[in-house]
Amino acid sequence: MQLPGVTTVCFAASYALALGLELVQVLWPRQALRLIALLCGGAGLLAQTLFLLVQVPRLGLESPAGSILLIAWILAIFYLYGAIHHRQFAWAIFVLPLVLGLIGVATLAPVDDPSDTTWGDLLTNLRGEKFWGLIHGGLLLLSAVGVCVGFVASVMYLWQAHRLKAKVPPRQGIQLLSLERLEAMNRRAIVLAFPLLTAGVFLGAILLVQRSAQLRGWTDPRIMGACLLWLVFAILLYLRYGYHLRGRRIAQWTIAAFLLLLVTLASTHTTVQGGSP
Amino acid sequence: MILGLVGCSYRTAPVELRERLAFDSGRLEAALAEISARYGCEVVILSTCNRVELYLARLSGPGRFDIELFTEFLAEFHQVRVAELRPHMYEHHQHDAVRHLFRVVAGLDSMILGEGQIAGQVKRAYEVAQKLATVGPLLHTLFQHARFVAKRVRSETGIAQGHISVSAAAVDYVRQVFDHFDDKIVLVIGAGKMGEMTLRHLRLLKPQQIWVTNRSPEKAEAVARGCGGIPIPWEKLDDALVQADIVLSTTGASEPIVTLERYRPICDRRSRTLVVLDIAVPRDFDPRIHDGDRTCLFNIDDLKHIREQTLHERLRHVPAAESIVEHEQRRYWKEWARKRHGPIIARLTQDFESKRQAVERQLYQRLKHLLNGQLTETVWAEIRGALRLYQNQCLHGPISALAEEGPGTSQHTLLEALRKLFRLHE
Repeated sequence: MQLPGVTTVCFAASYALALGLELVQVLWPRQALRLIALLCGGAGLLAQTLFLLVQVPRLGLESPAGSILLIAWILAIFYLYGAIHHRQFAWAIFVLPLVLGLIGVATLAPVDDPSDTTWGDLLTNLRGEKFWGLIHGGLLLLSAVGVCVGFVASVMYLWQAHRLKAKVPPRQGIQLLSLERLEAMNRRAIVLAFPLLTAGVFLGAILLVQRSAQLRGWTDPRIMGACLLWLVFAILLYLRYGYHLRGRRIAQWTIAAFLLLLVTLASTHTTVQGGSP
Repeated sequence: MILGLVGCSYRTAPVELRERLAFDSGRLEAALAEISARYGCEVVILSTCNRVELYLARLSGPGRFDIELFTEFLAEFHQVRVAELRPHMYEHHQHDAVRHLFRVVAGLDSMILGEGQIAGQVKRAYEVAQKLATVGPLLHTLFQHARFVAKRVRSETGIAQGHISVSAAAVDYVRQVFDHFDDKIVLVIGAGKMGEMTLRHLRLLKPQQIWVTNRSPEKAEAVARGCGGIPIPWEKLDDALVQADIVLSTTGASEPIVTLERYRPICDRRSRTLVVLDIAVPRDFDPRIHDGDRTCLFNIDDLKHIREQTLHERLRHVPAAESIVEHEQRRYWKEWARKRHGPIIARLTQDFESKRQAVERQLYQRLKHLLNGQLTETVWAEIRGALRLYQNQCLHGPISALAEEGPGTSQHTLLEALRKLFRLHE
């Protein structure tokens, strides 16, 4: 994962510093600290963008490291957007640990020898099965982002509900968005992620059937994982809209879906090295 | 400058006396005009429910204000016996007077620590005096600086953070649950006086509807009329609880009106979170209904707890606020000295400057003659630089002494001494 100039350490350190400053800000509230944290976060995002511009064609979008780093990058944008738009809330404390965790997982993920592929090569060879593979990967990636956003919103929801249950004074400790807003954020993330996941899984199934030689039958972990994830999502949506489950329960279910996503990612990438879907 | 203040506050005088000393707007103007004319000084009167203070200033004169005179004036003006008044009065002079005003305006001397109302009251007191021309450059500078101190203390410390009132704290809790209010229904149960202020705060959130219910339909109608709400029959309370988003309960019932058993079926029929602000004593809602998720119940003790926590939190910021006040008090006098002595310092500097330039011209001619035109620009620049440095070092002592000298009679001696020593004429 080394690249002259910009490495994963650069942006991970920037995000970690931003997180540290935000934590200090909770104990010692100073607007200047939040501003510096924001600048650190912005610097981290810039470094990660530069890193991905160089590394994505070499690692491949379908590689575990490449895809996880892309998810982390989208979440870093989500962090920066939230930190700017909701300056009085401790947005970073909930989003940045996830970003850092994903970067950590990407660093530990197995990496094939990086090729010398450039963006030009990547785009030139983008036809036929490769093109559909990319669409499939992109759909799954965006649905994963949706799950991650839902996860963050759910954790924040549980935290806020805990504060309310304990009747913590509103201006004390970590400030968060209202329960209503967090629930809406969770709902939107899942509602948007589900069709993306459905389309991604469907496309993946077609691609697998075409490459049936590579398939280990229906017990293939990639199929099992994707189907299980889809099923959990479907249950999640049913619970929300059919069973009218809401509040703390739905937040807990979203966290479970996120954990399942992690397990699915880990199992597909450890049992089958690389390859899409 | 001679600065002084005389007055009494909730710390020194009982409310009965403060009431008698309070100035209404008509009497305030009369008092300002009277003091200004009678004693020939600048004056601002700060009269609030917690304090009555006279801020006095004049450019020169005998040592300090004779506070006894002003106590007598207050006694005469309000027809209170001087002997009755005197034990409750305090006085401050020069630095202490400035420090006191800055502490007052920052809310450090308020009954409710850090309250912001006092800054506005000080501003209004100054404006009234300004309108009547009883403030001149002395109190103008002081009160402008006081406004700056109030802003600085509020923005740089947490002394004004959080809510002290129960109703504002209630709204803060509601905001933790809901994001927008244009689709929310507020249900008011009862017609207690305590609820009026909270309802006023809730109305500022612009909810979609306000429903009012009461055992007495007439009372429900009256409250609904007052707040632009809709009266609901008492028998339909359960249905209203199913649809409402925020409940404000202020009945005078001796038993809880919504028990856990009564609330369970209501909760099952609900699809959104319900916030209950139960400010009735005894409580109207069973506290066991609170789960922080589907139902958030806050009673009067919870809301008062916030008030205590806020005050406790504000106390932590007192040292920082006091330090700003102290710093600004010193800065005020320094700036005042600079403004006051500016012409003398300028005259002194100008005098030294012209003398140095004369010496430079003479020296240049002599050196040119002695060195037969060998005097280079670099050497001459060095010499000029050395002379300028010498001039600055000579002036540094007297200027610093003027700036550092506090207000009072000794300063005039120093000023006179400088004038005589350096033969300066304004």
